Amino acid sequence: MISWYVDDELSPDEKKDFDFHIQECATCREELEETQALLRIFASAERFSAPFGFTTRVLGNLGEKEESPLRGLLAVKPFFLRSAQVAFALVVITIGIISGNLLLAERTDTIGQAAVVQEVFSLDLFQATPPDSIGGIYSTLMRPSHES
Amino acid sequence: MRRYQDRVYNFCRYMLQNPEDAQDAAQDVFMKAYRGLKDFRPDSSTYTWIYRIAVTTCLDYKRKSRRERFRREPLPEDLPSDEPYPDQLYESKESTEAVQVAFQNLPEKLRAAIVLREMEGLSYEEIARVLHTSMGTVKSRISRGREQLRHLLKKIEAE
Repeated sequence: MISWYVDDELSPDEKKDFDFHIQECATCREELEETQALLRIFASAERFSAPFGFTTRVLGNLGEKEESPLRGLLAVKPFFLRSAQVAFALVVITIGIISGNLLLAERTDTIGQAAVVQEVFSLDLFQATPPDSIGGIYSTLMRPSHES
Repeated sequence: MRRYQDRVYNFCRYMLQNPEDAQDAAQDVFMKAYRGLKDFRPDSSTYTWIYRIAVTTCLDYKRKSRRERFRREPLPEDLPSDEPYPDQLYESKESTEAVQVAFQNLPEKLRAAIVLREMEGLSYEEIARVLHTSMGTVKSRISRGREQLRHLLKKIEAE
């Protein structure tokens, strides 16, 4: 009742009755004074503010959690699990390097063979006569269309 | 977020009694609020919604810390100091200290209602919405909470 009285939560009639009662009852009067003192303590107690940089930290955490789902894979895990992850990564890299080298070697062989072929069959045999050379002018003149 | 951060932090600070836990909990509150934005119904006020998340988060923290280890905290390190204080600050410091000591022994449900009422200035109706309970329960919790605090403070003064 006292609590509701100090918060003004009583109906007008209840409030009137309480005001009358408090005049007579020393115990309730004491309780009322103590409750009012308690409320004064609350009123004067400090209101804490969020620490400096709070918003930035929250936004940073949000960013980390939302943007990189792979982060979970790298989160703190038992030592053996992390070691297994590292070993697997190393195996993948090694296989990549070896297969890359093999492919490169194969390709180098093909390029080498092509160069040899190019060297053996002289360009003169396969390449058309350049049009601005004498041979080119001659072959142009000798085409059937020109004959007609 | 800046509009709510101080009130949420203050609430967590008085609920958890510890600056580090309060900071972590307040951060969690905003993370949960961000993720739950899609569930937010515009018919309830943003303050009510945020405080509701704050209450749940702080109660979870209390439960978790009780499970991990029972610790009876001394007063947070940002409160007691031997340096001379101007009168008004001294009064505020003493009040803050008294409130925190008394809150240590107040059951969580009563504490949540009291912090929302006394430290955050919410009405009975708003508290009922935050705590998902009836006005009658809120009135009863605040009344019981104040009574217990009154006795606790009397005990502290007598010691």
